[in-house]
Amino acid sequence: MEAIETRHGGTVVIEARGRLDSNTARSFEEKLLGAIAPADPVMVVDCSQLDYVSSAGLRVLLMAAKRVKAAKGRLALCGLKPHVQEVFDVSGFSSIFVIHPNRAAALAAFP
Amino acid sequence: MIDRREVVLKNSLIEIERLSVVVDEFCQSHCAPTDLAFKFNLALDEIITNIVDYAFDDDAEHEIHVILCCTDGCIQAEVIDEGRSYNPLAAADPDVTLSIEDRPIGGLGVYFVRQMMDRVDYRRDGNRNCLRFARRIDPADESPEHGDPAPGEGMRD
Repeated sequence: MEAIETRHGGTVVIEARGRLDSNTARSFEEKLLGAIAPADPVMVVDCSQLDYVSSAGLRVLLMAAKRVKAAKGRLALCGLKPHVQEVFDVSGFSSIFVIHPNRAAALAAFP
Repeated sequence: MIDRREVVLKNSLIEIERLSVVVDEFCQSHCAPTDLAFKFNLALDEIITNIVDYAFDDDAEHEIHVILCCTDGCIQAEVIDEGRSYNPLAAADPDVTLSIEDRPIGGLGVYFVRQMMDRVDYRRDGNRNCLRFARRIDPADESPEHGDPAPGEGMRD
């Protein structure tokens, strides 16, 4: 599992790669929560290289969403592979996250 | 023909990835679609994570046995541990319609197992927790709705 942080204008992009399971969720949590700006954070989690996610990974994404919301920011996801999408659908996360097909679409949606 | 494979894991989260390699290989050897291997890996991940995190009161090393078998066109997995008595099927399903603010952190793991599998049952056998789950191998079967049978019903040893 890797999490690569890049900046595109005012938007922080975290690219999650590999397996996001209970074993790797802790390090991803540190990286993702650490990247949330204290005020008006604008973030994209790019999942196009994410092969696997379990409930431990969803937990981290939900924590980040709660924090971003509390800081009056915006968080979007993009590029979910079919298996990852299935986990989002079953958990109801598809309807609580803004999900774009790819990074370009996610960045274009933020002013 | 019944094909059976047993994997003995230590109670450590790093074992989950090692198990996933065996599960992928087992499903592949039975011509199961990759989606089925994904479902089994997810279900096993969730159950084993619960066991590693909550089943044992000490910090000692413990064994978790995972038995995969293929019979009558189904893949079945059984997870056996000697931790404290715990029936994961007794937990209520989470409300998956809540908003970000109201959504509790956690509680999805066992729900995933129920959703991904055709059948799930639990029994306490002496000092062991035994959880079994199965799903039919059928590339055309994408129906998400399969009712939960009574514990023990329709499962095969």
